[in-house]
Amino acid sequence: MIAFMKMTKPRVTNNDGRSVIRRSSIVIRRWSRLVIGLGLSVAAVASLPAETLWGQPVDEGQSVLPADYSCSICHRKGGELWSETTPVVEEKDLVDDIHWQKGLRCHDCHGGSPTLDQFKNHRDDPDFRLLSSPADIPSFCGHCHSSIETMRKYNPSARTDQEAEYWTSGHGRRLKASLEGENPQPDQVVATCTSCHGRHGILAVNNVNSPVYPTRIAETCSGCHSNEQLMAGRTYNNHPLRHDQFQLWRQSVHGRALLEEGDLSAPACNDCHGNHGAMPPGVDSVANACGTCHGKIANLFAQTRMRHKFEEVGLPGCATCHGNHLIVHPEDEMLGMESSAFCFNCHNPENPKYGATLVGAATAGTMRDRLEQLKEAIKAAESKVREAELLGMEVRGPRFDLRQAFDSLTNARTQVHSFKPAPMEAALNEGLTVTSDVLRRAEAALREYSYRRLWLAASLVPILLVVILLVLYIRTLPPATTHS
Amino acid sequence: VNRSNRVQFFLQERLGLDALRGLASKKRVPFHRSTHFYYLGGMALFLLLVQIVTGILLSLYYKPSPDQAFESVRAIVTEVDFGWLIRSAHSWSANLLVAVLLLHLLTTYMMRAYRRPREMTWLTGVLLLGLFMAFGFSGYLLPWNELAFFATRVGTAIVGRVPLVGEQLLLLARGGENVTGDTLARFYALHVVILPLLTIGLLAVHLFLVQKHGMSVPDRERQRLGGGERVPSIPFVPDFLLRDMVGWYLALALLAALAALFPWELGEKADPFASAPEGIKPEWYFLFMFQALKLLPAHLGPFEGEVVGIMAFGLAGMVVLLVPFVDWGPRTRGVLNALAVLAIVFFIVMTAWGWFSAETEVGLRIILGILLALIVLVLPLPFTDPRTTSRRTLYTLLTLGGLLLVAAAARELL
Repeated sequence: MIAFMKMTKPRVTNNDGRSVIRRSSIVIRRWSRLVIGLGLSVAAVASLPAETLWGQPVDEGQSVLPADYSCSICHRKGGELWSETTPVVEEKDLVDDIHWQKGLRCHDCHGGSPTLDQFKNHRDDPDFRLLSSPADIPSFCGHCHSSIETMRKYNPSARTDQEAEYWTSGHGRRLKASLEGENPQPDQVVATCTSCHGRHGILAVNNVNSPVYPTRIAETCSGCHSNEQLMAGRTYNNHPLRHDQFQLWRQSVHGRALLEEGDLSAPACNDCHGNHGAMPPGVDSVANACGTCHGKIANLFAQTRMRHKFEEVGLPGCATCHGNHLIVHPEDEMLGMESSAFCFNCHNPENPKYGATLVGAATAGTMRDRLEQLKEAIKAAESKVREAELLGMEVRGPRFDLRQAFDSLTNARTQVHSFKPAPMEAALNEGLTVTSDVLRRAEAALREYSYRRLWLAASLVPILLVVILLVLYIRTLPPATTHS
Repeated sequence: VNRSNRVQFFLQERLGLDALRGLASKKRVPFHRSTHFYYLGGMALFLLLVQIVTGILLSLYYKPSPDQAFESVRAIVTEVDFGWLIRSAHSWSANLLVAVLLLHLLTTYMMRAYRRPREMTWLTGVLLLGLFMAFGFSGYLLPWNELAFFATRVGTAIVGRVPLVGEQLLLLARGGENVTGDTLARFYALHVVILPLLTIGLLAVHLFLVQKHGMSVPDRERQRLGGGERVPSIPFVPDFLLRDMVGWYLALALLAALAALFPWELGEKADPFASAPEGIKPEWYFLFMFQALKLLPAHLGPFEGEVVGIMAFGLAGMVVLLVPFVDWGPRTRGVLNALAVLAIVFFIVMTAWGWFSAETEVGLRIILGILLALIVLVLPLPFTDPRTTSRRTLYTLLTLGGLLLVAAAARELL
């Protein structure tokens, strides 16, 4: 029983040596223990003294359960009526739980009567919300989380559509399908609320230790999705489910930003796939998923002929060039007609794909050349500014303005996604205007520096000449005398 | 009567210029081995003149508020025609002025020119040095840049550690508990109104006393030449004045070279909410105190280290001020001389320590450090006889220093 509540996890090792939970075995063991435990605890309760209170409230924030907390009589290890087969709730989990901290007690979720004199066998109590399979969990949590009235009391801005969303998700659909088949058996493996949020000891989503906190969610998803055995044979839209997404994402620009730099705005699994309604984005909606953050680029792409072409031939928008889970930092080398460039893949003059044109190839090459031109101009201007700085000249103005050129470069790179030369050209010209102005001012500062030295030398000549003349004149003066 | 004579007559009749002319023709200056030291006062006056002229020009553009101070100085440096030169000249001549005044003080001490009846000349001179250091301290904050802001915070905090009145002094200096726009406003007022008025008054007294008592001749020269009456002299006009002018022109050349080759840095704008950056340092003439206070342990016996340090510097300042009154005879003079040597060594070591612990502009710092040491080594030359061991030792040290200077300059230029 202790093992049940502590979630001792039978482990197997997957291909890359990582230890993963063999999920099916846990779930089967869990439910069999719950049923046995409930039966035994009901028998034990019959011999309880009547005056014992059930569901006695505990002060909020209290870290230790009072000794006479009524549910503890059975469900705490060492409780008066506890036996090896009774499900146990760890005290620490209970008091750390966000629900507990908000003042909710066992019966608020599990139902049933909180007092001993009204106690009924959990199975016979119509108010007791029995959990007999994973299929019961969404509605169990949804009892409160789908109720606007209930949630308003605790968090007026909380969403109440998670349960509805869940049933539309890949997970929910799979669960539903298992219940609606010819031989209805609830899918014991598919994820439900507790798979991600935990059971007891549920932490607020903004708690850094929560398994759904941005820096931890990917690892939580990977608990199942990196399990090769668990994913084996499962498909989505007739495509087999992979098990390397987490490994790939972790190396991606997004994964690194989130895990290594702690940038909480970087996307994890749920930001593209959705959280409660988690689904792989379809071919036609990849750009929308990326566009939630990269809005400007998504808007540009949405207006291109390229987008229609991609949809026509079944290429997934952004992911065609940038990949999906292993999205690396975009480089300018991705653009153009070099063999390493992505444009070359389809616009290869010798082997064009999907009807890609030679005009497109020329455009890609020109765009890349112009990008390189601005980069060179920035480099030249920066080097001149640096040179002037090292000589102690005041070039903070040009240094500041040079940032506009970097902004223009970023803008030009963004405009690549319009796949038209004109918008990109405008951004590039803006950058080139700035760099030529910065270069001119930095060169002026350098010239000024030279002038200063020149004028210094020139001014020293008359000064020293006067000194020499003075000294010569002084020598002609009569010598010092003893004045009487 | 030609036109020139008519003008002279016009002026003579109204201003009585004859009296001045008579005074100038009669005034003579003793001429001996240490006469060169007399030029330091004139050089200081010339640099003060540069300060006044450049300061007035800067005040045309400077705006003393935390929002505008830094930007206005930046505009002076970048946008105003020759603004960079005026600002650089102002900053450099301020530093040269303090350096010249320190040398003036040291050489006056070495010549024992403070003896009766010149005690008041010494007193006013030391007070003027204090005023110019206050000029430097208040002027340092005015560009409202990061280093100056935090150095002022540290500097005024040191004032706050003075026993009994420290807290009141701190509030008075900062115009509140922190360094804010109020501090900037009162430092500006101090820099352009209060200190100049005090300086004009004290300087007038100092110059009047110099004229009244004439130049003091060191004992050594008096004895060497066989008595005070036998010390030769030169007329002040034009002989001494022309020699003085050579000093001014040399100072002008040095100033121009420094202003053009090493434009005074502006740094970053001060952000009162940022944490103190590394390498905070005050002006170099406060650096010895800053460094020493930094090195002192937190507690010296029952007293706080900093408080003991501040008291010690206060006491040293009092001793310098009262030198004419404690020079009672050969024995006390010996003690004073030993203290003076210790003080000079302490000043150079602590200043160098403070300098070299900063990272930037090491080359310039090395060159300036060697120059400082060379200048101090030149000073005792007139007090040693030719072909003696002490003169030879000085020559050897000077040669070594000169070679080091050449090497440092070559390294910097190449």
